[in-house]
Amino acid sequence: MTTAAVVQVVVSGLATGSVYGLMALSLVIIYNATRTLNFAQGEMLMVSTFVAWSVYHAGLPLLVSAVAAVLAAAVLAFLCERLIVRRTLAATHWDVLIITLGLSLMLRAGAGLVWSHDEFPFPSFFRDRPLAIAGVRLAPVSLGIIGASLVLMLVLYALFAWTRLGRAMRAVAQNQRAARLMGISVERVNSMAWVLGAVVGAVAGVLVAPVIFLSTTMGLIVVNGFTAAVLGGFGSMPGAVLGGMVLGLLENLAPLYLPSGIRYSVPFLVLIAILLIRPAGLLGRVERRKV
Amino acid sequence: MRVTAAGAGVVALVAWPWVASRYFVFLASLVLVNGIVAVGLNLLSGYTHQLSFGHAGFFAIGAYTAALLTLHAAVLPVPVTLLAAGALTAVVGLAFGVPCLRLGGLYLTMATLAFGIVVSETLLNLDWLTRGADGLRVPAARLGAVTLSGDTARYYLVLAVAAAMVAAAANIVRTRTGRAFLAIRESEVAAQASGVPVAAYRTTAFGLSAFYTGVAGGLFAFVVGFLSPDAFDLFLSVDFVVMIILGGLGSVPGSLAGAAVVTLLHDGLAAFQNYRPLVFGGVLVACMLFMPGGIASALRLRASH
Repeated sequence: MTTAAVVQVVVSGLATGSVYGLMALSLVIIYNATRTLNFAQGEMLMVSTFVAWSVYHAGLPLLVSAVAAVLAAAVLAFLCERLIVRRTLAATHWDVLIITLGLSLMLRAGAGLVWSHDEFPFPSFFRDRPLAIAGVRLAPVSLGIIGASLVLMLVLYALFAWTRLGRAMRAVAQNQRAARLMGISVERVNSMAWVLGAVVGAVAGVLVAPVIFLSTTMGLIVVNGFTAAVLGGFGSMPGAVLGGMVLGLLENLAPLYLPSGIRYSVPFLVLIAILLIRPAGLLGRVERRKV
Repeated sequence: MRVTAAGAGVVALVAWPWVASRYFVFLASLVLVNGIVAVGLNLLSGYTHQLSFGHAGFFAIGAYTAALLTLHAAVLPVPVTLLAAGALTAVVGLAFGVPCLRLGGLYLTMATLAFGIVVSETLLNLDWLTRGADGLRVPAARLGAVTLSGDTARYYLVLAVAAAMVAAAANIVRTRTGRAFLAIRESEVAAQASGVPVAAYRTTAFGLSAFYTGVAGGLFAFVVGFLSPDAFDLFLSVDFVVMIILGGLGSVPGSLAGAAVVTLLHDGLAAFQNYRPLVFGGVLVACMLFMPGGIASALRLRASH
């Protein structure tokens, strides 16, 4: 294989990886604040991307549609957290996992009823014609996904490092009780974490939809996101990004060396393998719990 | 009172093929098959609080094992075939579960989810063995010289196996293993402190659960008569979870009730396929919010231990 071809595969791997990284980030943001996994995250991404599609087909520009997706995701997440998840008496990770499993079924079926279970092409921000850089032909959409994801990641970094909300979220992640004693409203942080996670997911959805088509099965991306997050060490935000990139590269490189049918099993095989070999992930530390 | 009710239930189950039409005999077989899975999954979830999103994978392994054994080794009597299906599934379950069980919680659940998807992809790709997407026709089960064809014969086969397995699960608390499960259910820390090797019993629960599901898968192969990999998807695993959440964690009668409701709903909503996940998702959310103990605690069916 020529170097140019390898570069092309690597770039498209990194593009896939950026999307997985964003998905992983959205899971980790919620996990860090609430210690629970939102299994419906992928379906929320799917629903908000469908909202963008509807807005676009109502004749509004693509940018407005993307904003609509973000707003829809924020509202949906806020309502789910406020109306359903918060009502469980002792919201252990077990309860929330089952509830969000139920939510994901309902969102998927609901989206199917509203928009049907067909596949739809989704408009892209980027042109179709490949860019030729030093003999390597790169798809603008790949570069665009990578660029946009990096920008969003930097924004998130700034948010967590320098804003009051970010500091509150980090405090809650470290120690909920201590954070509460310091006057932080844990409920508000949980709510904001759901909203923020959903917003990140919506951006990932709008970015990836032109590449993989828009359909109600998109929600399964939650497994790729989870795998990416575990790969990087669950709970670590830089780890989530790194895990996403590694997973994206593996998924794009594996078919070159292994039977091509393997591509769809890659995230699942990687998840099983990482859990068996190094459950703490590439960057994570083993979490010790006291009783 | 309990004895009378149980007796009436036994009579009704035995007499069912005489009063019901063929389709309802078939449906009752499916209810019992799903009941075995639910009881098995509940051994895992009810006692050790581990959730599996991948039991469709175990179900598929059991189903394909039984089907392939009957195809290629027709002399085997059906109990041997079913035991082999259960045993192989348990071995696969343990090989996969032992390392994952150390992690527990979320990780186990997501790993089982991945496992289930990998199993159905593998079945699809091993087409020299499983005929892939074309599907596999399952010959009738044999018991010595008798061929168990027809819905009634298959129903009695399922009923006999289900009775044995449900009785075993209901009486498991009389064994050392069962008492250890109870101790773990009440408090893992206390159990560990009292000298119960929690990790070993968690593994046992996982293996037992896989065994139950494998045997049920074998029965499913005979009842339905045709296997195709896409039948064993994530939604089937979710159906199993709905059965135990709706039925009630840790309750054998609850598992059976949950299996019956889900199987019948599945059948009743066949014409409204698009609404089915909406209903099941709603059931999950509603159970967690308003009926955490499921049908079992709502009706106080929970066995008095």
